[in-house]
Amino acid sequence: MNREDITKIINGFLVEEFEIEEGKIAPDAHLKNDLGLESLDFVDIAVIVQKEFGLTLKGEEMTSIRTLDHLYDYIQNCISKK
Amino acid sequence: MIMKHALVTGGSRGIGRAISIKLVSLGYHVLVNYKSNEEEAKQTLTMIKQAGGSGELMKFDVTIPRQVDEAISKWSEVHKDGYIEVLVNNAGIRKDILLMWMEDHHWRDVIDTNLNGFFYVTRALLKNMLVNKYGRIVNIVSLSGLKGLPGQVNYSAAKAAVIGATKALAQEIGKKNVTVNAVAPGFIRTDMTKDLNENELKSLIPLNRFGLPEEVAEVVCFLASEKASYITGEVISVNGGLYT
Repeated sequence: MNREDITKIINGFLVEEFEIEEGKIAPDAHLKNDLGLESLDFVDIAVIVQKEFGLTLKGEEMTSIRTLDHLYDYIQNCISKK
Repeated sequence: MIMKHALVTGGSRGIGRAISIKLVSLGYHVLVNYKSNEEEAKQTLTMIKQAGGSGELMKFDVTIPRQVDEAISKWSEVHKDGYIEVLVNNAGIRKDILLMWMEDHHWRDVIDTNLNGFFYVTRALLKNMLVNKYGRIVNIVSLSGLKGLPGQVNYSAAKAAVIGATKALAQEIGKKNVTVNAVAPGFIRTDMTKDLNENELKSLIPLNRFGLPEEVAEVVCFLASEKASYITGEVISVNGGLYT
């Protein structure tokens, strides 16, 4: 699973599940301020990450993620540790 | 038709039994949790079936997180397409004693069952409610948690804590269409109040009698239903007017 795959899956999920306009999705997009995601929405992200990548994310770690790029980094990092 | 599931902790007797039976009327397959009294839990199950419903027993101790998580995980593995959309946190115990005589175990056991049990079971079920964007959590609290009752500092503290948790959690997850409410019974005729003298106490109650478990179950089932779609973070007293 490379960076491109991660990006594609996460972006697709954000568009479909949270109805975020594709134009707003950019690596430096702030999850809260730009995309309107709240900490509670991370539950859905954690579930899709578990389903697609087989990773169990820790809520405590996820709360420090600010931008989409951070999220991709975090998932990639978790996969490499697996 | 997809089967809908509801879990009632401490469902083997008293108010928990009445709620388990009443949930049949909402079309739920009822999971009756119990800790040790299997005979009574089986009796609840029989009564669910007599009411035209279906259910199953789910044995775990709400105070032991590992037991809670294992029981829920095991159930979820078998029911991959379903989830528990209604949770009634009813399991509770009383150990009344004046605070000055209260020993650690009196305090700890009551906090463990009434407060920590709420936390462990709710945590185990919450994710699926959030992801499915539908859930109903009803916590059985008590007049004791609203008013405070002498001789029940432990119980009052635990129930007041659950009332606070109800209000906080309701705000935390409302966006995902999961509601959290509490029902606060007063004196209800159950095993838990059989040591109390109804004749003496009823003069304090405007409706002049103890309540019945079924009268609590009615309110719980309303809050657990789709009809209560715009109520969350609320505590409803069912106490015959004793304290409002």
